[in-house]
Amino acid sequence: MANPLNLPMVGRSLRNLVSRPATRRYPTEIRPRFAGARGTIEFDVETCNFCMLCARRCPAAAITASREERYWAIEQLTCIGCGVCVDVCNKGSLSMSVNSRTVHTHADVGPQGQRPGHEEWRKPALAAEVPSGS
Amino acid sequence: MKRTVIPMGPQHPVLPEPLVLDLILEDEKVVDAIPTIGYVHRGLEMMVERVEYTEMGFVVERICGICSFMHGMGYCVSLESIMNVEVPERARWLRLIWAEISRIQSHLLWLGLGADAFGFENLFMHCWRMREEILDIFEKTTGGRIIHSVNRIGGVKRDISDSELAAILVKLEELGAAFKQTAGVFGSDPSIAHRLGGVGVLTTEDARSVDVVGPMARASGIATDTRLIGANGYDQLEFEPVVETAGDCLARVVVRMREIDQSIDLVRQAIEKMPKGEGMPLENRPRGNPLGEVFTRLEQPRGEVLYYVKANGTKNLERFRARTPTFANIPAMIKLVKGCDLADVPNIIVTIDPCISCTER
Repeated sequence: MANPLNLPMVGRSLRNLVSRPATRRYPTEIRPRFAGARGTIEFDVETCNFCMLCARRCPAAAITASREERYWAIEQLTCIGCGVCVDVCNKGSLSMSVNSRTVHTHADVGPQGQRPGHEEWRKPALAAEVPSGS
Repeated sequence: MKRTVIPMGPQHPVLPEPLVLDLILEDEKVVDAIPTIGYVHRGLEMMVERVEYTEMGFVVERICGICSFMHGMGYCVSLESIMNVEVPERARWLRLIWAEISRIQSHLLWLGLGADAFGFENLFMHCWRMREEILDIFEKTTGGRIIHSVNRIGGVKRDISDSELAAILVKLEELGAAFKQTAGVFGSDPSIAHRLGGVGVLTTEDARSVDVVGPMARASGIATDTRLIGANGYDQLEFEPVVETAGDCLARVVVRMREIDQSIDLVRQAIEKMPKGEGMPLENRPRGNPLGEVFTRLEQPRGEVLYYVKANGTKNLERFRARTPTFANIPAMIKLVKGCDLADVPNIIVTIDPCISCTER
């Protein structure tokens, strides 16, 4: 039988009554992501020259691109957010935002069978780059 | 006596990861246990044939979500020794600091899981609250909470400013002081002592015969620690391996608690000894493709990990193999489970700190 006068819990309970809560009031109080946190890959189609380096280097094979079709696509849910593509991009078309990836609660498949998290860009060919005769 | 077979796992409340143990019981006593692994096999070692060696480090990190930093570091250290790349000094110290912080994180996670396994949900929450602060440090410095992706062959990708390092040290010391209170509960609570003391005793001789590694070996009185070989900057730090002699579940808890203090001390020493200043080189990019083979040893939170890398002069490695500490500790777990009560099985499994994801890759 414990000594009723020697209850370490009493002091602790009193301390807990007056101390600040250890947790955050989450849905109302959201801690912003730290600067430099790795989140989603963002793509700027205007500067891209379709060198294909990102698609070749991606360890998760999340990026598909085509120089002929001037097409660039990423599967955001396959992306592992390692940042290799951002490092290898010579044109600065790729960047990593701190925002975390969108949650997909159901499999919304696109008209061409695109999976959730699929994002794609097509860049119209510039007049100067169109080969003569075409 | 009639024997009963109780399959434990792959889904079991006490198991953090899928492991199957077929427990063969006589009454309440376990007489044999047959482990089965293979539920989270992802074929990572096969991926070296598809992913270029420069990017494979980011995949290797994903072997495990707890020791991810050390896996990335082990892979990079292996490739660096094949390619004779000298890592800049500051990068080496940064790696060491991150590695020790991830050890603290891992031990706090494990103490929480352990507390949950023996019925202390409150203690679990306290440990994980402290771990959350460590994860914040990681997110601030590396950009990721769990998967850090800062290791690159030849160095690290990001720097931590000197002021940030000082802030980290202050944070860790606060955390160490706060942890003392929690450690006091682990050390003094009579029901924890009753539940863990004298359970699953692995004697020093047995520990040697089944070749246990890491905290498991140190709890059985074997002063083994791969950090003592001095690679990766550990030769410049002063530390002694944490050794307990009892060899029971409680000793394994105590070893990990003391290692948290030790890691905080190592981070302090590293911050004092590392070269200061902004804009120091962090990376020596290797040139060409690797050729040769190498074994690398590191001390992960769970014990010694071995990496075998064989490169054939192309962009893809020929063979990559990781012998993880849990794999080395599974024979000891089977040895301990034999002869114990059914009610003690969860504690024994949890106190070896199994990381099945590491084991299966």
